[in-house]
Amino acid sequence: MPTSPSPDDSGADQVAAAGQANASDALHAAFARLAPQGTDPWNFMAAFTHLADRYGPDHPGASAMAELLTRPDTAAPRPSRLRGLRSGPTESTGSADIEEAMGHVIEAFRFLNARVRTLEDQLANRDTPVDGAAWLAPAAELGEWTALVSAHIEAAAPTHEILHADCGDGALLTALRACGIPAAGVEPRGMVALGPLEQGHRVTIAEVTEVLPGLPTRTLGGLVLSGVVDRVPVHVLVSLLAQAERTLVSGAPIVIVTTDPEVARSTWSPTTVDLVEARPLHASTWESLLGHAGFVGFGYLHDSSGDTRRIGLHATVAR
Amino acid sequence: MSAIHHFVPLVHRGDAVGRHTLRLRDAARAGGFESQIFVDITQDDTANETTSILDYPGLAHPDDVLVYQFATASYMAAWLTEREATLIVNYHNVTPSNLITPWDAFVGLGQKTAEEELRAMAPRTTLAIADSTYNEQHLIDAGFRATAVVPPSAALSASALTDRARSEQPSTARGARWLSVGRLAPNKAVEDAITALAVTRRHVDPDATLVIIGRPATSAYDRAIRRFVADLGLRDAVTFAGYASDEAVATAYAESDVLVVTSDHEGFCVPVVEAMNIGLPVVAFNQGAIPDVLGQAGVLVDTKDPYRLAAEIAGLLGDAVRCRAVQQAATQQLEELALDTAADRFISLISSLQVAGAGT
Repeated sequence: MPTSPSPDDSGADQVAAAGQANASDALHAAFARLAPQGTDPWNFMAAFTHLADRYGPDHPGASAMAELLTRPDTAAPRPSRLRGLRSGPTESTGSADIEEAMGHVIEAFRFLNARVRTLEDQLANRDTPVDGAAWLAPAAELGEWTALVSAHIEAAAPTHEILHADCGDGALLTALRACGIPAAGVEPRGMVALGPLEQGHRVTIAEVTEVLPGLPTRTLGGLVLSGVVDRVPVHVLVSLLAQAERTLVSGAPIVIVTTDPEVARSTWSPTTVDLVEARPLHASTWESLLGHAGFVGFGYLHDSSGDTRRIGLHATVAR
Repeated sequence: MSAIHHFVPLVHRGDAVGRHTLRLRDAARAGGFESQIFVDITQDDTANETTSILDYPGLAHPDDVLVYQFATASYMAAWLTEREATLIVNYHNVTPSNLITPWDAFVGLGQKTAEEELRAMAPRTTLAIADSTYNEQHLIDAGFRATAVVPPSAALSASALTDRARSEQPSTARGARWLSVGRLAPNKAVEDAITALAVTRRHVDPDATLVIIGRPATSAYDRAIRRFVADLGLRDAVTFAGYASDEAVATAYAESDVLVVTSDHEGFCVPVVEAMNIGLPVVAFNQGAIPDVLGQAGVLVDTKDPYRLAAEIAGLLGDAVRCRAVQQAATQQLEELALDTAADRFISLISSLQVAGAGT
């Protein structure tokens, strides 16, 4: 394993160390993205349980302290769990009524919490049916398509950074860098992403569907989609193309390298198809989707190596 | 003094504070004191070992010594502070709320409350006993004037561990077997062990595996860790064992090659001494009480760089001489900690305090 460089290390080792630092940062960022967002860390159930422990009717597993805090010097059976309502002439009737009412309020909170949790679960699962789904679909490296895609991007003379998802081993990033074109990758398979990261490429370990919504409007000089387009449901692809149209600068190219649907049908395992909702689209469907999303100039990339397993498509932002 | 009673919010048999409290109770009784464990919430697995705090007022005696096991927020703290009996705080550390709140705001709020409760107990406490010098500093910072250090009696017993002594024979496993033991909580930073495992499998040992033992502390962190494992393609390499019995934990120590501790914050870290007891090498991040507890009996890593952690683990496991040196150092470290007599020392400390008080 490469180790951290000492002052005597060669330049090559220092490059390796820089790559490791790059990969280390990306791994930490990948986990940080999984932390709850917004109000997600609000643990409603714990809060309501606490409320019930303190003020609600007695129940197994409840705290005894609400009782004891009221009468520290007695060990009498608890007549009520409501603090401050157990003394005086109206104790028996007043506290009982309020306790009953509080019990209903807490029960209502529990129902509300259960409903909120159900809705949150439904929302969380809508676009990510299986954790680590990227490993289930056989997203091939660009391979022989790398030069073709790189040439197409170079011909468009991009003025802004290119984004490639799923970038895999980073071959396209390397090719674009060799042409002087700034490029970054998105790769959901963490172990695969370590390769380009250790080479010093900027790669985000995530699904591109999670990354694009966070990018500013009109900041990408081009977008290459491979792998991911074979793996996610159609409604996610529609959202993805809308985000692509938003983030690309005027006239920027979008390139899609997708598995031929007939090939996918014959080679993918039933488990993969079932679990990842994998359904590569036909070229005509892509043309329709791209048109609806605001792309024009639809065309094909022609692979001279005779690869009939995949289809290359391109278009540009209309505005 | 005729009684040394222990107060703790709840007691789980497999939980470190629970095991510690049970042993202190036994040590007090062996020393001739009446001793009971009073709990706020009764647990099924320890119901016959504990008494509801509601029953204490009826049993209270002015000469009682009340020992509060402080590890989390509880109404017990304020209630004990208001009583007149001699009060001892046994401090096991409170995880800083900033490590918890991003994952569970309610639990984080509880940690913040615990920090306030600790400060509020300081003026009223006769003696505060920490389980590490690191924790003792927390007590001093919180305003406690009389402090001492006695390590916890929370580790699995040496006999339980040596019953499953690690074999000197080479493992038949294809790759190194990493182990993580502790609650699956944000401050344990298990993700750092997972990233180091990814690096190890890519560069050094494609068959390395990690077993994670411990019940989830927050569902959000649990979900994130599991998804992270899936995203990295490590589903087949990482086992989430969840809560495990003492026997299962002892077996896991015996069947592992290294204990990996990546916590951001540890007040003591019982698994480290358990690993030392069974001769399992330890590689840990250099933080909190870990340097004090581990001494020279393992490898401390100063950075959260997964490449560095992976390299340190591979370096240790690949060096038999170094492994033996670490195991020898563990033996010495355990002698210094003297965990077997810790409960007796704890009770003696309280007894001497009372004697000194009576003499003035």
